[in-house]
Amino acid sequence: MQIEVEKKDQRYSFEANKGEKILYAGLRAGIPLPYECATGTCGTCRARVKQGEIQSGWIEAPGAKNLKTEKQEFLMCQATAEEACTVGVPARIKAFRGDDIAPNHQFGVINNLIRRTHDVLSFSVELEEAITFHPGQFFVVKAPDIDGYRAYSMVNYQPKVGSLEFVIKQLPEGGFSNWIFKTSREGEKVELFGPLGQATFHRDESHDLLMVAGGSGIAGLMSILQSAADANYFSTHKAQLFFGVRTWEDAFYVDRLTEMKHQYRDNLEITIVVSDETDKRLPPESLELFSHGYGWVHEVALAAASGQGGDELNNTMFYIAGPKPMVDGCIRALILDAKISPAMIRYDKFS
Amino acid sequence: MSWKFACLVTEAVENTLKPCEIDGISLLVANVGDGFRAYPPVCPHMEEFLEDSGICNEGVLTCDRHLWQWDMKTGEPQGCAEKPLLMYQTKEQDGQVMIFLDQEIEYDFDDD
Repeated sequence: MQIEVEKKDQRYSFEANKGEKILYAGLRAGIPLPYECATGTCGTCRARVKQGEIQSGWIEAPGAKNLKTEKQEFLMCQATAEEACTVGVPARIKAFRGDDIAPNHQFGVINNLIRRTHDVLSFSVELEEAITFHPGQFFVVKAPDIDGYRAYSMVNYQPKVGSLEFVIKQLPEGGFSNWIFKTSREGEKVELFGPLGQATFHRDESHDLLMVAGGSGIAGLMSILQSAADANYFSTHKAQLFFGVRTWEDAFYVDRLTEMKHQYRDNLEITIVVSDETDKRLPPESLELFSHGYGWVHEVALAAASGQGGDELNNTMFYIAGPKPMVDGCIRALILDAKISPAMIRYDKFS
Repeated sequence: MSWKFACLVTEAVENTLKPCEIDGISLLVANVGDGFRAYPPVCPHMEEFLEDSGICNEGVLTCDRHLWQWDMKTGEPQGCAEKPLLMYQTKEQDGQVMIFLDQEIEYDFDDD
């Protein structure tokens, strides 16, 4: 099916396969359509039918709540087309960077399931074809028999990879989460689409880094840290990581973080922050190389950032990843209290 | 003429957005130091409610959804914002913020 997308003087056209999400078809064709989560929660890929007809897909999607259905609005990440159509979008169609990597469909096989804490697993997906992505990006993954795609950030990084490592938290309501937690899924085949996402790290930007992770939000930041460490980036740049978890036992990837800390010492500050107010215990020995904090991770990070004064933060890129309330709270505080320009904030919110 | 009462001057505190409703029309009143401004209640991008998503800081309004920003006095877009913030005419009268309400201002999807 031929899909045309227009915004003012811009006009792009691409081919969508039967049953393929319109957003995925456009991105795959290299057209930088507006999107954020690509899974129906954020609403950023809102569009309007101008000609033809689409199938809107998951109409109860959280991201669909502000859609004007009387004006034929829909989410491109949920909708499919069975005939040629023309759609309009509310923001300009523009590339984030010149080196954006066009995403594509893939199949992969799950392996290497590792329990990281009582409610966090990591797993790898062995891809049929090796790919490249930018550290900080994510893939959407679909399990057989489970409706819809879920977004997971890559933990690993290499310039070209044949396997993607992901982190997943056990959620009572999560379809994919239940699917993978309840039975061992080693060897199961999954569908993927990616890489996606703009909260990316690029060495040539030459920034210092301040990173704030809530729980499994650490995933994409691990990829950033890995790629930076492999390139010896921290010999000339500073990085601060604030990793928020509920209790000390909920911290994971401690071994990898410890190794990086040993290697880069003063240029890599790692702070583990526990939010459980009843957890007044001192941190265990395994975390002794790191700094420690109590309370909400973004508040601890902000207090640290504010103490550093403006000049030191001038060349700092902020990366924030975690649940939506944490990310929103962090952005608000960065702009209001730390007077940080939005151009220096990259975020990955999930819900 | 249809100047309507929106709120008391004392209710519109600097660096906040005061939600008001006039004849069933929602809007946000801001005290920008040298006067008042009144905006439709939603972000021109995704129509997110700015009462929740808006961050006022030193005369700049930021929507926390995609970090679009505007000069609160002029409504001019800043940074990555692509559309201006539209405004109702306002005046101050006897300690009250008054809005000239002709018809509801709405953002159109296809506007520039």
